[in-house]
Amino acid sequence: MQNEQTSRKATAKLTSIIQQLEQSWEDAVDQKKALEESCKSKCTKPYVEYKQCVKRVDSDDSGQKHCTGQYFDYWSCVDKCVAPKLFQELK
Amino acid sequence: MRTGKINRLIAHFSLPGFLSQPSVAASLLKAAPILTPKLGQAESGSSGSQFPKTTALFGAGASGFLGCATIAYASDEAEHGLDCPSYPWPHISILSSYDHSSIRRGHQVYQQVCASCHSMSLISYRDLVGVAYAEEETKAMAAEIEVVDGPSDEGKMFTRPGKVSDRLPQPYTNEQAARFANGGAYPPDLSLITKARHNGQNYVFALLTGYHDYPAGVTIRDELHYNPYFPGGAIVMPKMLNDGAVEYEDGTPATEAQMGKDVVTFLSWAAEPEMEERKLMGLKWIFVLSLVLLQAGYYRRMRWSVLISRKLVLDVVN
Repeated sequence: MQNEQTSRKATAKLTSIIQQLEQSWEDAVDQKKALEESCKSKCTKPYVEYKQCVKRVDSDDSGQKHCTGQYFDYWSCVDKCVAPKLFQELK
Repeated sequence: MRTGKINRLIAHFSLPGFLSQPSVAASLLKAAPILTPKLGQAESGSSGSQFPKTTALFGAGASGFLGCATIAYASDEAEHGLDCPSYPWPHISILSSYDHSSIRRGHQVYQQVCASCHSMSLISYRDLVGVAYAEEETKAMAAEIEVVDGPSDEGKMFTRPGKVSDRLPQPYTNEQAARFANGGAYPPDLSLITKARHNGQNYVFALLTGYHDYPAGVTIRDELHYNPYFPGGAIVMPKMLNDGAVEYEDGTPATEAQMGKDVVTFLSWAAEPEMEERKLMGLKWIFVLSLVLLQAGYYRRMRWSVLISRKLVLDVVN
């Protein structure tokens, strides 16, 4: 039992050290982009609607059609998901 | 009686041009399904009494207005820009101060990334002392710039190294030079930018970190860049915050989001340097005034007790 606890503590400490090392690396991954990627799964509905709009716009080319509405819906969904979490990742 | 005014109001809102686009007409019908029978009534009934005609026109006007509201919003979406989310800034709450190490990093970002185009002409070097840098550091920083100073005893203008009392240097001599160097657009002065834009802190952060690929069907001139948060979508400024653009003195990894947070904290401080003192004052005076309110309430009730508790007796006089 105690061995398990100590090994768990050791792995926790190791992961925290690795995280600190990762953070100090020069080419750290941009936190906002990473969060936006992970938030994509929560915003599938507006994303699908945007993709459908893209298909519609690609097929007929009158030059007047655009997908700004669906694009805005998708990005405001992603933004709402990202915003509360982002600053916890930053210093 | 008031039909003239109502008719003018309806005429103002139900413009025929809106109905020309098929998508517009569809959303118009979607927005006001209940009122379309009235619309039909208006078209079919030519002559008749005034009242049904007016209600029909009012129905048409109302549906036009409702449709106008939805259409106008849709076409204004890009013009208004994507609404920025609210980020949990550490200095937002009523008891929070600025993160001064963030201000220091943000000033570094401003100096190395933004100062080539954006002036901050209301901030002096001495404002940074005690906020982001020590006095000696600020003196050394100021001494790196050259400042044109007033006429000498010989009547000539001369250049000298900067002093702590000098303002932050301007990249262009005047607005016309700035516009000429930036394709006609003026990079605004950033001293008050977070107060000069609606929801300034969130807006500036979203703008700086929000250069996404543009949506299908949107085309922009080569000189411009797409940013959904910018009203209209087409901004002259390219994406300036790229990972590793700045090497922070304290070793913080300079990712785009980190630089954005730091520079917006710096800009917030620049626009509202009094914030911490203001919050302290506010806290103190709200406390004092609530005590005063209690005292005033007690005093009022004490003075009014005589009148409140008096009794009037009505007696019949024989």
